[in-house]
Amino acid sequence: MIVTPRIALRIALVVILAVLLQVSFFSFVSILGATPYLVPVVVVALGLLGGGVVGAVCGFAAGLLIDSLLLQTLGVSSLVLLSIGYLAGRYREGFEIRGAAVPALLAGAFTMLAAAGFAAIELMLGVDAPVSLLVVREILVQGLLGGLLGFAVYPLVRRVLAPALIDYKPSPSRLLSAGRLRRRGRRTRAVEHAAPRRRARRTPVHGGLS
Amino acid sequence: MYRKQVRRRRAVLVALIVLSLILLSSHFSEADSGPLHTLQRGVATVFAPVGEVAERALKPGRDLINWFDETFAARGENEDLKAEVEKLRAEVVAAEGAENDNEQFRKLLNLSDENPGLGEYDLVTARVTQRSPSVWFSDVTIDHGSSSGIERNDAVVNGDGLVGRVTDLTPGTAQVQLITDHDNAVSGQVLPSGPTGIVEPEVGNPEDLLLDFIDNDETIQENQTVATAGWSNGTVSSAYPPGIPIGRVSQAEAGEQQQFQLVHVTPFADLRQLEYVQVLTGGPDRPGVPG
Repeated sequence: MIVTPRIALRIALVVILAVLLQVSFFSFVSILGATPYLVPVVVVALGLLGGGVVGAVCGFAAGLLIDSLLLQTLGVSSLVLLSIGYLAGRYREGFEIRGAAVPALLAGAFTMLAAAGFAAIELMLGVDAPVSLLVVREILVQGLLGGLLGFAVYPLVRRVLAPALIDYKPSPSRLLSAGRLRRRGRRTRAVEHAAPRRRARRTPVHGGLS
Repeated sequence: MYRKQVRRRRAVLVALIVLSLILLSSHFSEADSGPLHTLQRGVATVFAPVGEVAERALKPGRDLINWFDETFAARGENEDLKAEVEKLRAEVVAAEGAENDNEQFRKLLNLSDENPGLGEYDLVTARVTQRSPSVWFSDVTIDHGSSSGIERNDAVVNGDGLVGRVTDLTPGTAQVQLITDHDNAVSGQVLPSGPTGIVEPEVGNPEDLLLDFIDNDETIQENQTVATAGWSNGTVSSAYPPGIPIGRVSQAEAGEQQQFQLVHVTPFADLRQLEYVQVLTGGPDRPGVPG
């Protein structure tokens, strides 16, 4: 991926939108007893499209934003999400992604990893209350839902970041309109320059070799 | 060239991990008035209006999902009615949302009528705008903050019973730690005139709380109500006022080798589907509770 300032802005918007959707919509929805976790799916999609560094930076930023918005312990989500963003990016750098199912499966697996990582960090930081085995169900269901979300999220993120991708091929209609614009531009320039050039050519030259 | 790229990538990764760990340890050990907490509250304040707008805009979508969830069992409907159902679906979703809101408001009014002790408090009704996606942080954000008179450690209830307490504030929002958060513990009493213990959550299971420190020789029956004890010894007191219903006893286990029995309590409030809550502000002095 070629990250220009315009693409960086798009990535930032994708991350902010994902975090806002997570805290205002998905966190309120309960499916099979678990909350769909959109943010890791988006981070994995960004990692798969942009590589390890893009994935890690996006994961870190998304985690920092989510922790800040919810006034949670800063750094926990950042650490988890940057890890899965980086791993997703490394996968992309090592293997070719073929078919629509691969990104979705990876999104599901990495979401499960993120949920498990989150649990591990929380347990390391100290939990005063007893922990229910239902936490395991939450992790598994979140992974499953992450996989389902991946089917929709990966193509959407890919579409948003399409101009930055190395294998980007503009659609024929886009090429056509770009070509038309270029021709129109050339014609305009020709009209602008035609008269002076003609005048220049007709300028009589006095003396010397012609 | 490739080596340079690899070195750069590793440097970025290490820098981000180190930064995360620094943030984590600093935030964990820092006081509530520290720079990181202040910065965090600043970001929350900036994004609060956006979050509120998004929450309101996305509510029909949430209601729609819930509607599908609730009506999943009713698939065998008459073919002739399907077209009509399709047409009425949008209206039903809107009406269900409004009816649900009304029911919650009615319950909130009933709770304050049924508990005369709550009359000493100013009740601030607020809407839940954001919540954490993780079971490890059972927190929600509400759309009223310090500018509405809310203070840290104020108790939060809904129409069914106790919800949690305020743990952090910005002028326009407040962070409510639910009773299912692993950092939360409430002194609860089994009604009527039963023993008093500590109600703790079981992480990962929002439908079960544990009432601990109840002696093995105490008799606890299923379906007995547990409410906040609201004790005070003059220097230290509970953050929660007495008499707020917490839940109903679902099971009591008396271990042979243990001093205390384990009492499972099902909370009255559906903490996964919170929309409106009331914050109990003001009220009598609570010695030892930082406001």
